[in-house]
Amino acid sequence: MAILEVNNLKKVYTTRFGGNHVQALSNVSFSVEEGEYVAIMGESGSGKTTLLNILAALDKPTGGEVTLNGDNLSGIKEKNISAFRRNNLGFVFQDFNLLDTFSLQDNIFLPLVLSGKSYDEMSFKLKPIAKKLGIHDILSKFPYEVSGGQKQRAAVARALITEPSLILADEPTGALDSHATDQLLQLFNDINNDGQTILMVTHSTKAASHAKRVLFIKDGEVFHQLYRGTMTKEELYQKISDTLTLIATGGVRNE
Amino acid sequence: MNNLIYPKLALTNIKKNSKNYVPYILTCIGTVIMYYIMYSMSINQGLDQMSGGNDLKMILNLGNYVIALFSVIFLFYTNSFLIKQRKKEFGLFNILGMEKRHLSKIVMYETLYVALVSLILGLLGGILLNKLMFLMLLKILNFEVPMGFFISIKAIIATLILFGIIFILTLLNTMRQIHLAKPIELLKGGQTGEREPKTKWVYVGIGLLCLGGGYYIAITTKEPLAALSYFFLAVILVIIGTYCLFTAISIAFLKFLRKNKGYYYKTKHFISVSGMIYRMKQNAVGLANICVLSTMVLVIVSTTISLYIGMEDVLRNRYPRDIIVNTGTFLEEDGDQIRKIIDDTLEKHQLTGKNRIDLEVISFVAKQKGNVFSTGQMTDSSLTGFTGLYFIPLEDYNRNTGKEEILEENEILLFTQDRTLKGNEIIILDETFTVKDRLKNFIDGFDKVDVVNNQYIVVKNMSVVDEIRIKVGDVYGEEMANPTTYIGFDLDASDEEIIAVHNEMRDIIKKDYPDCFFDAAAVSKESFYSVYGGLFFLGIFLGILFMMATILIIYYKQISEGYEDKERFAIMKKVGLSHDEVKKIIHSQVLTVFFLPLITAVIHIAFAFQVITKLLTIFNLTNVMLFALCTCGTILVFACFYGIIYTMTAKEYYMIVK
Repeated sequence: MAILEVNNLKKVYTTRFGGNHVQALSNVSFSVEEGEYVAIMGESGSGKTTLLNILAALDKPTGGEVTLNGDNLSGIKEKNISAFRRNNLGFVFQDFNLLDTFSLQDNIFLPLVLSGKSYDEMSFKLKPIAKKLGIHDILSKFPYEVSGGQKQRAAVARALITEPSLILADEPTGALDSHATDQLLQLFNDINNDGQTILMVTHSTKAASHAKRVLFIKDGEVFHQLYRGTMTKEELYQKISDTLTLIATGGVRNE
Repeated sequence: MNNLIYPKLALTNIKKNSKNYVPYILTCIGTVIMYYIMYSMSINQGLDQMSGGNDLKMILNLGNYVIALFSVIFLFYTNSFLIKQRKKEFGLFNILGMEKRHLSKIVMYETLYVALVSLILGLLGGILLNKLMFLMLLKILNFEVPMGFFISIKAIIATLILFGIIFILTLLNTMRQIHLAKPIELLKGGQTGEREPKTKWVYVGIGLLCLGGGYYIAITTKEPLAALSYFFLAVILVIIGTYCLFTAISIAFLKFLRKNKGYYYKTKHFISVSGMIYRMKQNAVGLANICVLSTMVLVIVSTTISLYIGMEDVLRNRYPRDIIVNTGTFLEEDGDQIRKIIDDTLEKHQLTGKNRIDLEVISFVAKQKGNVFSTGQMTDSSLTGFTGLYFIPLEDYNRNTGKEEILEENEILLFTQDRTLKGNEIIILDETFTVKDRLKNFIDGFDKVDVVNNQYIVVKNMSVVDEIRIKVGDVYGEEMANPTTYIGFDLDASDEEIIAVHNEMRDIIKKDYPDCFFDAAAVSKESFYSVYGGLFFLGIFLGILFMMATILIIYYKQISEGYEDKERFAIMKKVGLSHDEVKKIIHSQVLTVFFLPLITAVIHIAFAFQVITKLLTIFNLTNVMLFALCTCGTILVFACFYGIIYTMTAKEYYMIVK
């Protein structure tokens, strides 16, 4: 069953005085099945961030529609949108977006507290997640006291604790060193193997090579896609790399 | 290199930072105006012509010093705030290849611009407003002096010197900051110190002790003279306590809330409690400043207003009758002679004395220990434990009150002001008296509230008074124990007429009885007006100045916090906080930070209320109700201003966070 469906998505930005129109997304369609791990790749300015913002219900499309679990995102009322986001989506950002006024534990609890859950329920949920992510002994620390990798794992925990249908990751490895990147990508594979659906936007070939499927966006359209199938990471890496070269040198579509 | 680049850069810097600089320059202008006005008024020759003008000048002079001191501290404080905000900018310049001495040059030009604009506009404003203020002062003083428009060169020079020094000091401070810092630190300037604050238990302890001590002194002090000596101790304790309260106690309290899981993990409390912990760390001192300033504004304005409004009361309290004659002799014939002169003079003016008091009294200060009164010297170190004793023969008491009391030997009627004297027997200079009755009130106009507690004692007859007089005379000397005849009466006449009668009587009586002492409210009215009116004017003036400071501090707080919170709220939105919730949280946080100092200030005032009423009795103001009303009124007006500033800055804050 498709968790996420994106049909003919279009987004046009208009400058303040209505003079210039910038087409960020011209026609994007794809769907994500339950348990999938999809990476979306594209160069800067290809429309990745716009796409992600629309998927996260942070921005509204000019045309087309997005349905998550059968709910049309543009049909949700403004006052319910935050609760919807909180209950159905988990976010992992490049710059972690942890609040430095909270300890890691409180950061992870944040979405649950917003939903009005009790402390006992929250700590019950946190235990297995913290164990799996290897952050159970630093939970009482504050973001400025831990490393980037640890921060990102706390952010992943925050995304997981609401048991969302979909995790949206925006360049999750962008601010990490290679060791932490490997750890995080392994983690993503682990949670995906547990059945968690993940959609990741990245321009790191290495990050994308961990996914089960890679979509390429160029000039606001899905340009190409690759399925892992039975390929190893290394083989997929090579394939992605070739595709990127093709896009960069302006090759024609070969499908 | 083109030398013009520095002045140009400085100009654009100020323009770019207008959000921070405009309020700063406005404040500079405001303080310049106030200092100029105060100074030129204090040296105004017009004031010399009025009675009490010297007292008034003294008060205005005091105001001068207060404003000068305040300007130095305040402008220095705001300037260092500005630098903190601009550290990143300096860092960028530094990295772009500007040396520190170039930066210093730019800063120098900036200070020069600010100084020029503030001084020119400030002095212009001061000169324009000076006349208005002077007229207002005269109006307050009930005094009319025709005065032309005038410019005080002396005041201009004084203002230029003072503010020149202040600007040079701020410049030096800025340069010092730039020179001490490393470029990378400058770049990070705004964002250092995000660590969670530690609970400083020592300060919590000190703060609680100081606040408790200050409050305790304030509510237990009963005597006006003691209030005078303890008040400043209490003020200092409460100020220290306030700083500790905001810096340490608040954080300890918030952390306690955070430990309480059931309370903390609620949507509403979760974000505000953790946010407040950080906010308190950065703002504690600023909030404490605001609190202390607000308290000062409220105390100064409410006391001076009630003194001014209560002036008639004060005059009546100080001068219970329109004309009061106090003889220094005790020969019956002398008394009769003086009475005759008074009556003759009144008759000549076709006036009759009303509410006449006429009695013989001896009084002295005694040491009080329970119900035992003994002689003793009053020293500065022990103002308490002394009480004034007034002895009046029964005959005089009955005549003045129209009552028909009867007393046996060694029986007395007692009127005590503070009603602390208990029991049926009191011992005065080794003689035991039985209290026959306690009086609810005494001869009207004679029972005024004084800085010390007075006991009014009615004894059987003159011979008892004589006995006491002899005993007192042995200790204090004959003169101190001299009995006096006290004659007072009201007249249905204008102030001028009363003064004329008063002068006439005085001139005749003084010829034969130089010890005679005369009092008339009408004579002293002007000097009273100049002192109390001067205080009132000063109170309002300083009130405005302090309020300006409060506004500015609050404004800057909001702006700087807005920039810091922007990021925080962006994250919360991403994690799933709706726009309305964000708004609600911002609202409650800003509200707390904003009104915390005001509420604390009001609590301070509530505790200080009693001790201030005691202090006001020294100024002859005993109308507690009036003071209560003035205090409430002042608090209300202040709260309104506060509310307006709040809405204005909150708007600014939303704009930034959005």
